[in-house]
Amino acid sequence: MKRVVYGLLTVVLVSLAWFGSSLAAEGPLSLKLAKTNIKISTFYNGTTLEVTGTLPADEDVVVQVSGPKKDVHLKEKGKVAGFLWMNKTDVSLENTPAVYMVYTPTGATATQFLSPDLGVGYKALVKDITINPESADKAFIFGEYVKLMEKSGVYAINEDTVKYGTPDNGTKSFTVTLAIPSKMSAGAYKVAALAMKDGAVTNRVNEDLTLELSGLPAAISSMANGRPLLFGFMAVFIAVGAGLLVGVLFRGGGGSH
Amino acid sequence: MFYMYLPIAGNSVNILLILGLGGFVGLLSGIFGVGGGFLMTPLLMMFGIPPTVAAASDSNQIVGASTSGTLAHMRHGNVDIAMGVMLLIGGIAGGTVGVQIIKLLRALGGADFLIAITYVIMLGGVGGYMFWESLQGLKKSKNSTAEVKTTVEEQKSGKKSFLQKLPFQYKFEKSGCNISMLLPLGFGVLVGILAAIMGVGGGFIMVPVMVYLLRMPMHVVVGTSLFQILFTCINVTVMQAYSNKTVDFVLAVLLLLGSTIGAQVGTSIGKKLKADQLKIMLASLVLLVCAKMMAGLLMTPTIMVALKGGH
Repeated sequence: MKRVVYGLLTVVLVSLAWFGSSLAAEGPLSLKLAKTNIKISTFYNGTTLEVTGTLPADEDVVVQVSGPKKDVHLKEKGKVAGFLWMNKTDVSLENTPAVYMVYTPTGATATQFLSPDLGVGYKALVKDITINPESADKAFIFGEYVKLMEKSGVYAINEDTVKYGTPDNGTKSFTVTLAIPSKMSAGAYKVAALAMKDGAVTNRVNEDLTLELSGLPAAISSMANGRPLLFGFMAVFIAVGAGLLVGVLFRGGGGSH
Repeated sequence: MFYMYLPIAGNSVNILLILGLGGFVGLLSGIFGVGGGFLMTPLLMMFGIPPTVAAASDSNQIVGASTSGTLAHMRHGNVDIAMGVMLLIGGIAGGTVGVQIIKLLRALGGADFLIAITYVIMLGGVGGYMFWESLQGLKKSKNSTAEVKTTVEEQKSGKKSFLQKLPFQYKFEKSGCNISMLLPLGFGVLVGILAAIMGVGGGFIMVPVMVYLLRMPMHVVVGTSLFQILFTCINVTVMQAYSNKTVDFVLAVLLLLGSTIGAQVGTSIGKKLKADQLKIMLASLVLLVCAKMMAGLLMTPTIMVALKGGH
């Protein structure tokens, strides 16, 4: 009986030791956001978000911000009558993230972290996106869409931005300041840290980030969407009132005809 | 600091910049009697406001600016209410027809081409003619002190017999003309159709129509145009808020603060300028917008896609 008990105990201990070592191989990757909820109030003009974490000393980390996915309706420009550039053809990109930002480590070329195989970068996004009509050139249209989004600040590849701390006991810390542009609208986003070594992702952790309207923007948005007719009349009423008020205030300045 | 978040546009803007923009367009509105939508919407888009929100919020702002401007012009006796009402009725009817034309063209394809071509031809034609005509007027007034009005009277006489035969003759006192009500109504319909096709309030077409076709004095044209624009934009604001939920009230209020004051200052400036000076300035502005549009159509775009609903 004792032998059986010792045998079982040995098996359990060996299993635990193996499980523990396999976790250690994946690395102690951690990710922490300074805030997980950002309020969009009256005088909000975008913000920054501090992100910290740890990873194995011999690995690199890439931080990715994305979401929420939506269908984007675009007009492709083309020549009309041979010389006029105009919005010509309707084209839709389905399942496209409204926001996509990547932050790569300092002192390393960003391209090594950006590939469809690693699931990072614009080329990785194309895989999940469908184009309508199917006959359209998906890579080209998405490439142009990326330019458009980069211009408005919601798509970005930020090189040389993730900073490492001094390695200690096989791990190192990392910090990065995320830019949250004002164009990033209220919604649910995902911040991911991807640990990489030798051209492969070794580990990945995610944190949720929520942006929500508060105060005056929340009140206006809920009225505009909930009671649109009343909102329209209120907008007109206030505009007429402001016009009359200024008209009366300027009365002294008016001359005779 | 100095930034405010626009909940419907989904972006924040510099308060001082939008106040300044409102003031500038309000000034033009007060001077020339145009709503300024053809200037404001592209400028707002440049500052990151989605095109649909820019157009709808601008119409809300025009309500305030044109209330302020109409009040100032009424005080100067420059609003022909009867004429304004006729143009307004025609404009609304024309607008409804124009919207249907666009719907049909969108279904058939080629609507965007028609819109762009109408824009360039209207802006170029109206601006060019006004510029040339005012230049002639200014040259003449230099040579003699006689008002350009005399040439207008001469031109008028040729058409008099036909126009007097039309039914529903009415004396539009402020405008100084005795014409059939059908005339402003008909022109209102035409402008309404064009405005709906182009997606603008139509002030910059309505002003030349009143000046050249209805032969109204320039200062009464400005006041009457603002009166008509006020009601058109009230209708557009309510419809946009209800159907498309694209009126950004915060943006409209910021623009309003600038534009209502701008409109008052503009009216005072306008009073000090001669009719031909006013016309030549408006013509230059219209030609400038036309040139910018032509450049946009002829130059190869840097980005080959645009979000639907934009220009």
